[in-house]
Amino acid sequence: MAEPYVIEPDLDFIKEVGALGGEDLKKCYQCATCSVACAISPDNKPFPRKEMIAASWGLKDKLVGSSDIWLCHNCGDCSTRCPREAKPGDVLAAVRTYAIGEYAGPKWLVSALKDPKKLPLLLAIPAVLFLVVGSITGLLDFTPDLSQGIAHYKFFSTWLVDMTMLPAAIFAVAVLALGLKRFLGDIHQNALAEGKTKQEKIEPVGFVKALVRVIPTIMTHNKFSQCTENKDRQIAHLLTLFSFIGLFIVTSVVFLLIYGSYLLPSGPVHGPWSQLNPIKWLANISGIALIVGTILLIKSRAAKKDQKSDYWDWYLVYLAFGLGVTGMGTELARLAGLATISFAIYYIHLILVFCLIAYLPFSKMVHFVYRTVAMAYNEYAGRNF
Amino acid sequence: MDKKYGIYICEGCGIGEAVDIEKLGDVAKEEGLPVKTCPILCGQAGVDLLKKDIADEGVNTLVIAACSRRVLYDVFRFDGCIVDRVNLREGVVWTHPRSKYPAPTEEQKDDDNFVDHVQLMAEDYLKMGMARVKKVELPEPYLLEALNKKILVIGGGISGISAAIDAAKIGYDVTIVEKEASLGGNAKRWRKQLPGAYPYEGLIAPVIETKINDLQNYPNITVRTETVVGRIAGEPGDFLVTLKKPGDRTEFDVPFPLPDEMKLDEKGQELDAEKMHEAFMEYNKGKQDILQLDPNGEKFGAVILAAGWRPYEPEEGEFAHLGYGQMADVVTNQQFEEIAAMGKIIRPSDGKEAKSVVFIQSPGQGDDKDFGYAGAVTSLVALKQAKYLREDYEDAKSYVFYQHMRAVGLTENFYKNIQQDPGIFLTKGEVTRVSTNGGNLIIEADNTLLGEKVQVKADMVVLGTGMVPVTADDPVINLAYRQGPGFRDNALFDDYADSNFICFPYETQRTGIYAAGAIRRSMTTEEAVEDASGAALKAIQCLESVNRGVSVHPRSGDMTFPDFFFQRCTQCKRCTEECPFGAIDDDEKGTPKPNPARCRRCGTCMGCCPERIINFCDYSIDSIGSMVKAIGVPSEDDYDEPPLRILGLICENDAYPALDIAALNRLSYSADVRFIPVRCLGSVNVIWIKDALAQGMDGVFLLGCKHGDDYQCHFVKGSELAEIRMKKIGDALASLALEEERVAQFQVAIDEYDKLPQIVDDFVASVEEMGPNPFKGF
Repeated sequence: MAEPYVIEPDLDFIKEVGALGGEDLKKCYQCATCSVACAISPDNKPFPRKEMIAASWGLKDKLVGSSDIWLCHNCGDCSTRCPREAKPGDVLAAVRTYAIGEYAGPKWLVSALKDPKKLPLLLAIPAVLFLVVGSITGLLDFTPDLSQGIAHYKFFSTWLVDMTMLPAAIFAVAVLALGLKRFLGDIHQNALAEGKTKQEKIEPVGFVKALVRVIPTIMTHNKFSQCTENKDRQIAHLLTLFSFIGLFIVTSVVFLLIYGSYLLPSGPVHGPWSQLNPIKWLANISGIALIVGTILLIKSRAAKKDQKSDYWDWYLVYLAFGLGVTGMGTELARLAGLATISFAIYYIHLILVFCLIAYLPFSKMVHFVYRTVAMAYNEYAGRNF
Repeated sequence: MDKKYGIYICEGCGIGEAVDIEKLGDVAKEEGLPVKTCPILCGQAGVDLLKKDIADEGVNTLVIAACSRRVLYDVFRFDGCIVDRVNLREGVVWTHPRSKYPAPTEEQKDDDNFVDHVQLMAEDYLKMGMARVKKVELPEPYLLEALNKKILVIGGGISGISAAIDAAKIGYDVTIVEKEASLGGNAKRWRKQLPGAYPYEGLIAPVIETKINDLQNYPNITVRTETVVGRIAGEPGDFLVTLKKPGDRTEFDVPFPLPDEMKLDEKGQELDAEKMHEAFMEYNKGKQDILQLDPNGEKFGAVILAAGWRPYEPEEGEFAHLGYGQMADVVTNQQFEEIAAMGKIIRPSDGKEAKSVVFIQSPGQGDDKDFGYAGAVTSLVALKQAKYLREDYEDAKSYVFYQHMRAVGLTENFYKNIQQDPGIFLTKGEVTRVSTNGGNLIIEADNTLLGEKVQVKADMVVLGTGMVPVTADDPVINLAYRQGPGFRDNALFDDYADSNFICFPYETQRTGIYAAGAIRRSMTTEEAVEDASGAALKAIQCLESVNRGVSVHPRSGDMTFPDFFFQRCTQCKRCTEECPFGAIDDDEKGTPKPNPARCRRCGTCMGCCPERIINFCDYSIDSIGSMVKAIGVPSEDDYDEPPLRILGLICENDAYPALDIAALNRLSYSADVRFIPVRCLGSVNVIWIKDALAQGMDGVFLLGCKHGDDYQCHFVKGSELAEIRMKKIGDALASLALEEERVAQFQVAIDEYDKLPQIVDDFVASVEEMGPNPFKGF
């Protein structure tokens, strides 16, 4: 006989999830239309009905550490069909926002990312950091020698970029690693408690294999494409995802090339790169894809009046949009020979890059990590999804 | 009156094509009655013909052979005339198409052995109609010597006050009697009330005070507090009511009927009428007999019973598994309401703030029934009380465990509103146990939305116990009727004062007594106010019917009433005992004393009377018996293979309409049956069945309403009593060497028209199997 589950509703959790966009959660009367409507919900312990019950009872432990909230792609099929307009899609999105905060620290940064009033502060941190470190080290030169054409490294040294970005990345990865460790433990415990898996422990090899198996699903957005309400968003999201991957590749290659070139007898190689270089092609294509993808995302979000779009969501899409625009803007201004404008845009671009990296575990951006892990876990656990 | 007959045959709606009208007319001519035919009798020409004959020829007894009497009744209604409607359309041609029962060909017309079923059927029905009109008379109303139009309202709660105001607004004099020292009843003791107006979302302040104050605007309402009913004698329009202080004992307190065991002598034989009356008076020592009139009694015309409800009181140990009676913090919803009315919710055990309360709606233990006498109201009360807690404390948690959450109508809005409170948690589930752990209560539940087994900690537990109608404890109305002071078989309605709240709301089993509010079923204040209007209108309908000497309901406007031929009465008391409405009292000798204004004209007395001395002027042992005798029973003298003849006695309330609907749908059934509509199966006297079989008919069946717990009989007990009588007739048949199975009774609901052909045909087939009645032809 199973041990009885001790119900301890957390009123603050209910209020918080409500404040994060799930304010209709208590309307649910458990008809299960949502679970039936959902094209991607598993047969065994389907979501989002059980999540709706747990949310309306304030059962934080059943939600925050559940992989199922991440299996949801927030397509909105459930919300559209909900007879009580309890908006399960929005509730799960709010729970995910809450969960991201639960697994990240420090907590002031968690709340800062949810608060539009803290945006200036978040932007000021890299802006000031660049100034201070750049001034102290002299790696920031406001009067660079441009006799050989516009070269951004002369204004903002590559060293300065990596001196600030690398620690930010290390911080983000560390925070994320700590969070993921707890997350994986929690979702496994939750799966055991709810009978979603027969695996007693998480075997690393098996888990990695499962991860590899879900990669094609993610890359093709196979799950996303099963949605009916938000079909248009799938293309936009796919474009954005691929552009990020492209830009990640470009950044990594360039990083290796620059620091590798120090070993060359001819000395280090710096940009700008020739437009004929395949790396440049990839960079340009990705940059344009990012702008197009994010514009489509913004359009579809703005058009969906029945679905919640909070600051939390807008922060990320506009950040990504800003990254694309400032990235391409820097290049275009350079090509136009407008050095000052190009440098200014580049400075903003770097601020945004810093925000993307340093605040990753605290922002909605981190969903790609949790969702990937959750989908891999689900695959590993053997649930059909 | 001198009857001048006129027989009119309609040829429309397919009758003319299927029936040989001339031959049919010969049936009347053989009896020397004038016959006229008309292509469309209900058309202008037809109606003009009828009117002209009535005016010019003095025709006053019409047999109209056309369609069912359930249609065009206003067209064929002629005041001052006896009218019989012979149902050729629905009863013959629509249900017996010529494709199935062919007309004779030219050669067959001379063949004596050819059976023309349709023609025979039409001729029989016409004969039956002619036989009936010879035996019936026009009714004269039963008028009371003195009519009183005052309305007595028993109970001064929300229902009683509302009913009084509604009746007073229309101009009737009303007296409210309330047993307590002040008006208001239960509604006065609540912190808040369920929403009663748009948007039906939040709790409101109780409306009872406003209602009480409103009473002052009606000089025609008299309020008498600390008053109860000692007895109500008489009949609607002429009730004689003894009012008294609660607890007082007077000689006009209502006497109770003798318990069954006291009706027997030492040998186990039933006492004779006079001895029985002596025993009855002895049993009710100090009280006057029901027929003794209280000289100080007050006259009323109709009564509204709004005596309301009391909270359910659990018996000792009844809910031990829920800790009730053992743990001070486990209370009923009534006790919780009392705490809430006094201030913030605190625990009875130590007076500490109760911030976590579990509301249990079903006692569980294997079934999903709610607490006794619970209903939609108890669901809503749980939601209301859950909200109290949330109003009192910001961090309070209210849990509701239910098997049924009933929020009907617009109270759904209230449910939605409550559900959206972040601190109110609702789940279906079975609470299995309540235990204590230090100062806390632990509530265990099974099969909840949150899992198989769950536990909740709480400061208090509230049981959603129900609203017991006060008629469960006491008759309240204290009728000085021979059948007893209360409503009969009230257990069928869980003691609620009602007769059938789906078909006949407000009408109790006693004419002139109308129930309103929580005595009828558990209901909210808002519903009770609406209910009060219904009961008030019923009471007025009653007064405005008895003043004209017509039946109130369900045979509204029927002017006939049972007429007793007392010279032949044997004082067997069967009519007194069987009347579903207690309309008949009897004196110390056992002679029945009918009270026509109490009567609903069902004819149950006529059906039960072994001496057949009870009749209505247009519906009697003789009128129906003559119709039976008018049915032609073919024997081997007539045909080589004579067709069967089977009599169907059809309840006109549901079964007859169902037959009409079957006809409308062109469903076909055996042509061997002949139907006679009856007021109620309760009015079927076994003599008709015996006559039918004695004249050679092969079988008889009764078709009537469902009986039992979910009965549909319009007269409560008619079809049930008929069933008992049919069982008894079986013995008599056996002694005549006739199979018991030749007599049967079938139950049918009004919407089961599609089953009727099968029922009829199956019975005909079973009779066919038994073979023809051996008495045929004698």
